[in-house]
Amino acid sequence: MKLRTFPYFLREAFRSLFRNSLISLASIAIITIALLLFGLFFLFIANLQHLGKLAWDQVEIRVFLEQEYHTPQIVGQQLAALPGVKSVKFIPKEEGVVFLEQILGEKNLFSAEENPLPDCYRLSLTEAAEPAEIARRAAALSGVEEVVYGQAFTRFLQLVLRLGLVVGVVLLCLTVLAVLYLVINTIQLTVFARRQEIEIMKLVGATNAFVRWPFLLEGLMLGLGGAVLASVLLTKGYNILLQQLSSYSRFIPLLSGIGINRTLILALTAMGLCFGGLGSLFSVKRYL
Amino acid sequence: MILTKNLTKIYSNGVVALDHISLTIKKGEFAFLVGPSGAGKTTFLNLLIRRELPTSGLLAVNQKNLATLRKSEVPLHRRSIGGVFQDYKLLPQKTVYENISFALEVIETRPKEIKERVFSVLELVCLLNKANVFPSELSGGEQQRVSLARAIVNRPLLLLADEPTGNLDPDTSWGIMDLLKEINKRGTTVVMATHNREIVDQLRKRVIALEHGKLVRDAPKGGYTLET
Ligand SMILES: Nc1ncnc2c1ncn2[C@@H]1O[C@H](COP(=O)(O)OP(=O)(O)OP(=O)(O)O)[C@@H](O)[C@H]1O
Ligand SMILES: [Mg+2]
Repeated sequence: MKLRTFPYFLREAFRSLFRNSLISLASIAIITIALLLFGLFFLFIANLQHLGKLAWDQVEIRVFLEQEYHTPQIVGQQLAALPGVKSVKFIPKEEGVVFLEQILGEKNLFSAEENPLPDCYRLSLTEAAEPAEIARRAAALSGVEEVVYGQAFTRFLQLVLRLGLVVGVVLLCLTVLAVLYLVINTIQLTVFARRQEIEIMKLVGATNAFVRWPFLLEGLMLGLGGAVLASVLLTKGYNILLQQLSSYSRFIPLLSGIGINRTLILALTAMGLCFGGLGSLFSVKRYL
Repeated sequence: MILTKNLTKIYSNGVVALDHISLTIKKGEFAFLVGPSGAGKTTFLNLLIRRELPTSGLLAVNQKNLATLRKSEVPLHRRSIGGVFQDYKLLPQKTVYENISFALEVIETRPKEIKERVFSVLELVCLLNKANVFPSELSGGEQQRVSLARAIVNRPLLLLADEPTGNLDPDTSWGIMDLLKEINKRGTTVVMATHNREIVDQLRKRVIALEHGKLVRDAPKGGYTLET
């Protein structure tokens, strides 16, 4: 294979794209649709995961100290050292009263001297935290009277998050396979339409590598075309969705911004190129 | 150039297409391959260009044993052969020029040389004015000439022509024959399968006759049948 042959390959690939324009357009359309499916799914799962994490951030463990315990700072340091604890916030009993008064809507519940509330620590958790374990170990610390957290809710959320991750990854892999299947089949059609060309190339003495190149380039172009279209449609569509949602309510905190778009575009482009190229090589192989 | 010994081809469906053929064709020869439909002419040509493998017996082209030719050597082998096929095998999406230049692109000829050579064969087959036309806009005879031009553009040692005058009127057929004679005169060995009695009888070249896969006659300046 000589380097000067590459312009010929490129020319051939472009020519074939334009001369078989109907097939090319149809292929790009199908690849776009396949990638759109993947993209929608990707956005859906990414957002579910994101919402789950936001919910997890709300989870907190409250650690109440014994009445009249005099060195709460030490407990605070021990709590902060527990694995899975992101941050520790001390709430002295005076503040506790304020909270309680707010909740109950009453004023001057207790005088400062007869305040029966204990001092308290609020723990927020890292993603990998095991709330039950933290609660157990916090309760065992000296000076700790009681540990309180939404046990049932936390456990449920934990389950949903982990299961969601597994199911999401599996489903995403399945969509990737589905896209692969669709793209390969589509490209197979474009190659099938040109099997005679392959036969004749071989009859006049083309090597297999020589036959493959233009098809490979064409497959890459079709894949890239599909990826670009799908990316444009998805990012534009998603941004419109975000705008619409934010004008209705501020309380649906979907993933937004450049980060998610960039990931999506990267994934789509990689898939389009890989599958387009693979599809071509795979399809041409049958006629070599 | 071509050497066969007990060359036998049995297709996977059991048809014995060639049955113990032994012959030699020397460099520069012009040979007609005749015989009724199904005699094995196309099969013989397909073996020479290695589209098919022999079932048994020896087949050598250019001192290369085709039975043991490695797959990677096939392209090189084919580059020394030009083929004119029964059904032309032109690419409908390519212009006449591209259909011919294609055979040179494939063997990575220099762009400048490609242009020169393609125009020179186009001139030879009198199709210079049709260079940018698509095959579907050509008559049968013109398509046949494009196919011939593609076969000779890389100056093959051996030209295989499978009924190059099939479906053509007598005048056009003779035009093709003149071209083949010209190419042969320039040193290319030509093997032509044909049903065209008039041409074979008039040209008086070597005639190799097959029947049911068997070699039934091999005459130096023969006619289409034994009597002629
Ligand atoms: N690919 C194939 N598979 C199986 N049988 C085949 C194949 N090609 C040809 N044959 C059989 O081999 C025999 C010889 O066929 P071939 O095409 O060589 O004949 P031919 O002399 O070229 O005939 P024609 O003059 O009609 O072109 C026929 O019986 C045909 O049916
Ligand atoms: Mg035939």
